[in-house]
Amino acid sequence: MTYDMFPERREGPVNPMPKAPSPPEEGEGPRRPQSGSPDKDNLMKRMKKVDPKQAERYRQRTGQ
Amino acid sequence: MTRLFGIETEYGIGRDDLDTMDPVVESMELVRAHLTTPFERRWDYASEDPHEDARGFRVSGLAQDKEEAQFSIIDAHRPFSFHEMKSDLVLPNGARFYNDHTHPEYSSPECRTLKDLVAHDRAGERIVQRAADRRNQRLGGTPVQLYKNNTDFHGHSYGCHDNYLVSRSVPFAALVAGLLPFLVSRQVVAGAGKVGVETESGFVPGAYQLSQRADFIETELSVDTMHNRPIVNTRDEPHADVKKYRRLHLIIGDANMCEYATALKVGTTQLVLELIARNRAPGLELEEPVTAVKQIARDADLKATVRLKDRRNLSGLDLQECYWEAAQRELAGADPETDWILCEWGETLRLLIQHREQLVGRLDWVTKQWLLETFIREEQIGWDDPWLASLDLEYHNVNPERGLYRGLEAEGKVWRMTNEADVEEASVRGPLDTRGGLRGVCVRRFADQITDMQWERIRFSGGWRPKTLDMGDLFDPMDVRRCVELFEKAASPADALAAWKTRKDVTS
Repeated sequence: MTYDMFPERREGPVNPMPKAPSPPEEGEGPRRPQSGSPDKDNLMKRMKKVDPKQAERYRQRTGQ
Repeated sequence: MTRLFGIETEYGIGRDDLDTMDPVVESMELVRAHLTTPFERRWDYASEDPHEDARGFRVSGLAQDKEEAQFSIIDAHRPFSFHEMKSDLVLPNGARFYNDHTHPEYSSPECRTLKDLVAHDRAGERIVQRAADRRNQRLGGTPVQLYKNNTDFHGHSYGCHDNYLVSRSVPFAALVAGLLPFLVSRQVVAGAGKVGVETESGFVPGAYQLSQRADFIETELSVDTMHNRPIVNTRDEPHADVKKYRRLHLIIGDANMCEYATALKVGTTQLVLELIARNRAPGLELEEPVTAVKQIARDADLKATVRLKDRRNLSGLDLQECYWEAAQRELAGADPETDWILCEWGETLRLLIQHREQLVGRLDWVTKQWLLETFIREEQIGWDDPWLASLDLEYHNVNPERGLYRGLEAEGKVWRMTNEADVEEASVRGPLDTRGGLRGVCVRRFADQITDMQWERIRFSGGWRPKTLDMGDLFDPMDVRRCVELFEKAASPADALAAWKTRKDVTS
């Protein structure tokens, strides 16, 4: 999947009548999304800028 | 049933320029950066009592782990008063913004519709980020970063609590029985996703979980929130007329970035509460609910099953499907928002099985998993690479220049229930059909005459007789609107209260 395949932005809530989900076909289990390779996207650049050690340094005190 | 809900979010806070930071000072300074005038103490803690247990008893103290107990001793010797440390603010939109246990916390005003709730949750993100921007201006650069997540990947968790007004006529035992299997499995829709597993022996990389919070759930029921965290929190602190209402205070949920996930988390929970009130919740009993939370969280393929007392084995999706079917049978056609929830809930469960990719930008755990898998492929690294935990953290950064979710949103790749105008409006004004909006009106118009306030009451200064706006049973939307109108137009709080009393006397 590439970024171009994202669903269009949709405003909500809308007011459709509820429709029942179709049952999965026999033998079909949950499937993972297929990942693409959006190497030219801004988001991939943003991800590459993240310091790999950032989570290691990040310390919080327990909250609720 | 009266619908009223709200979300409290404790934000993680970090300083890029310091190796170690003081979280008490940073959180306090962050909240105060919101102010343009000196801090004035207004929040009234008198009605806050987290020791009352809904099971019918009172505990003498709340549990803390050893580390936090040691921190508490140090905190007691700091050069700040309790009130200074909390820095409690009530905002013109009726929200509360303060330092809660070293985390900046934004508590939304009470909302009646999902759209209002999502707008106010987003307004909270905007307000805390603006405070961070101001703090950064003073510090120079952008050292302060805020994370709308629930873990530091070192075994410390902080919460995102969803709250619901519930009639006290519903027995607490019925709430627990009806909610447990639902909350255990709600993460398949509302989990925020997490890299790795946090255990008592430390962080274990390599796995991907549905939920940020699952590792920290230790018991089925408890009044505690910082240690021994429960699936159903039993704190009995209604912030309303105690004879009529409960506040269901759920601490198991993750902080969501996706508006769709926030709406479904709260919307589906509200429907389940309505099923319980009608005695129509599905009769499901898990053999080991706490274990089930972790089993479901740790299988991102959604195939793990958990054992029921009737010896059936059901997956998280199966459990959600049971609740969806019961809600569909009982509640379909009740009102447009109910029908929207039912439609989207059912569709989400179907897509999780058949076309999960269509939920990218709608469910956080699916979106984050997709981002990380894309990155893994691009960088040719494994799931045990520590970089992934950093990317997980950055997904939740609310800074629009840095956050990964923010990046997706800027590209128009996520589902929105709100638009910019909605969020901006929610930043300055509460819902005018709830006491949250009324609270905001009082803050906007009469801030200098408020002596103290809390969720259910506002006290005003002036004169010999106390001037108190009691909102402990002010939930009828028409009544709220009438009261808002009076406070919007009156020359003083005393005039508004006198007119409100006359109106109540006439109508009662």
